[in-house]
Amino acid sequence: MVGPFAWFKWEALFRDWTVFAEGFKTTIMVAVLSLALALILGIVFGVLGTSQWKLAKLVSRVYVEFIQNTPLVIQVYFLYHGLPHMDVMIPVFAVGVLGVGVYHGAYIAEVVRAGIDSIHKGQMEAALSQGFSFWGAMRHVILPQASRIVLPPLTNQAVNLIKNTSVLAMVAGGDLMYRADSWSSDNLYYGPAYVAIGLLYLLLCLPLATLTRRLEGKTGVSS
Amino acid sequence: MIQLEGVNKHFGHLHVLKDINLTVKSGEKLVVIGPSGSGKSTLIRCMNLLEKPSSGKVTVDGVDITAHKALVAKVRQSVAMVFQQFNLYPHKTVLENLTLAPMLIKKVPQAEAVKAGLAYLDRVGLKEKANVYPSQLSGGQQQRVAIARALAMRPKIMLFDEPTSALDPEMIQEVLDVMVDLAHEGITMVVVTHEMGFAKTVADRVIFMDDGQIVEENSPQRFFENPTHERTKSFLSRILR
Amino acid sequence: MKKFGIILTSLLLVAGLVTGCGSTPTTPDKGAGGLPADVQAIKDRGVLKVGVKVDVPNFGYKDPKTEEITGFEIDLANAISKEILGTEKIEPAAVTAKTRGPLVDSGDVDLVIATFTVTEERKKSYNFSDAYFTDGVKLMVKKDSGIQGLKDLNGKKIGVAQSATSKKAIQEAADKIGAKVTFMEFSTYPEIKAALDSGRVDCFSVDGSILSGYLDDSTVILADSFSPQDYGVASKKGNDGLAKLVNDTIAKLKTSGELDKMTQKWGLK
Repeated sequence: MVGPFAWFKWEALFRDWTVFAEGFKTTIMVAVLSLALALILGIVFGVLGTSQWKLAKLVSRVYVEFIQNTPLVIQVYFLYHGLPHMDVMIPVFAVGVLGVGVYHGAYIAEVVRAGIDSIHKGQMEAALSQGFSFWGAMRHVILPQASRIVLPPLTNQAVNLIKNTSVLAMVAGGDLMYRADSWSSDNLYYGPAYVAIGLLYLLLCLPLATLTRRLEGKTGVSS
Repeated sequence: MIQLEGVNKHFGHLHVLKDINLTVKSGEKLVVIGPSGSGKSTLIRCMNLLEKPSSGKVTVDGVDITAHKALVAKVRQSVAMVFQQFNLYPHKTVLENLTLAPMLIKKVPQAEAVKAGLAYLDRVGLKEKANVYPSQLSGGQQQRVAIARALAMRPKIMLFDEPTSALDPEMIQEVLDVMVDLAHEGITMVVVTHEMGFAKTVADRVIFMDDGQIVEENSPQRFFENPTHERTKSFLSRILR
Repeated sequence: MKKFGIILTSLLLVAGLVTGCGSTPTTPDKGAGGLPADVQAIKDRGVLKVGVKVDVPNFGYKDPKTEEITGFEIDLANAISKEILGTEKIEPAAVTAKTRGPLVDSGDVDLVIATFTVTEERKKSYNFSDAYFTDGVKLMVKKDSGIQGLKDLNGKKIGVAQSATSKKAIQEAADKIGAKVTFMEFSTYPEIKAALDSGRVDCFSVDGSILSGYLDDSTVILADSFSPQDYGVASKKGNDGLAKLVNDTIAKLKTSGELDKMTQKWGLK
């Protein structure tokens, strides 16, 4: 009898380690770029969500609700399978960055909005009364204060984002999950493959999760 | 210096300001009193457009700020405001609170902004607190820093929105002393307050507001010694016991 | 310190999985009725659990309207169940290329009859029967692409299924004629078809019989056929009694001509 974790399957895994290294690299690159995109979108739409300008508020609301209430897989399928029918062909790597970035941008927008809302409105008034513009006040007065509150949930989002890059496997994106699927489906050594990439994801996420807990301790925010 | 013409303000179905007409002359010290909910805070907040009037015109230093939205930020640089809750920036040191806006908005070089900031702190008696954070100060000290922060923009007009209402009684005087000192300098001041002693000694003119309207306006002597309106009388009798 | 603890625990867990599931050699015990224990267990249960495809027309396909799964491989499963139980009684479970291996390992299904290509590598993990069907890898392209054969696919992308051997077959053929191709792997056939439709891939390549189920007005299947592949019935290593029974049944069906009738019934020859 041969179990899913038989030793010769592990040997094959270590022999083909470059396959997984390639995927690991792609996953990290997609994660970093989509996190940058998510932060930009999250801050812009989070701030718009707190503004007095009704249209901006509406746009932010629509973005957040639409993205949060549809599955990431559908959004990625739309970018990958749907857009080409409208003559928009985005390379699969960019599909990953865009899909995951836009998705988590919506969550970060909510985190940012809650952070800004927690800052006393007198802070905005004080800054405006000194002659700051709305965005100037945000940048120099509100966001630096909100960032301390927002940091723990933000790192939590980063962890989720890393895990969600695995959606790329569904559109042949070449990420860690895809490589494991591809490699193990040829030889059916899925046991070692998924344990190994599980550990690699853990390697990326655990430090961030630990950081989250430490930050929560510092700001006195507990879940 | 400041001119309000036919200003109305609604909050939902509440009519908070009712057809206000008011002119503040350059260098004048105007004190606004009235019961809470009378609209006096809304009135002063209309002067730098923190509150947008539902209708009417607000002119500050010759600029119609209700018509020219783009100029609002520019006008605000010369109209400083001191708040009831101080609203110091908690993530900045005392000195940084003073230098932030001058450096970023007026593009004053850092060395110059720091020098001026320290001078203003000295004026409110808090130079030695330059490098601490606001949370380490008492309420009275925070409000004095807030005044110094307002001054650091070298404003033409200073608006005070109940600057002593959030303070413990023993700290009120130190803030009033700074304000009295300031009043001797010829800067235009509009002060919403319940401090009648301050009104008597400093004001050129006192207005009494009730129910969104200016009920009475007069010089401080006439106002306190010989109020004409019934509502003014009853308010004063309650407050002056 | 805590972090190291977690990592250490994970590693120990993995190590446990390796050694624990490594090898427990078993020889098929004879049950009460003279049947091997693994076959007897199915007989006692009264139903044969089979992993089948539900998205491959003519092999294993679930009609969205009637919810009924039909096809050549279903007929074959029924024939095997008759051999064990005396009546045709199967419990079909939908599998994909990705799930069929794990489902056999876990014992959720007794057999996998799901266009499962036999390879030497796979034989290390599972018992495979002799071939019940042989099929070549074919290429589907869009009519308007002008692609005539493998050499026209130089520099193009080919969509293949995960767990399918078509990638290797095409790669070898392409190397021979000096064509450079890249592969994109998807987990289901409809996804590959969607990728072909949207232009994400230039060619959809799986076993010819599967491919024919996805043919429509805008696509064409090229004449090229690569490395004929054997479909086998897979079962768990150790269930050797069952494996032997499956093999005997297939041999019987072949000699009696039953198997040919089945393939003809489904239009596969």
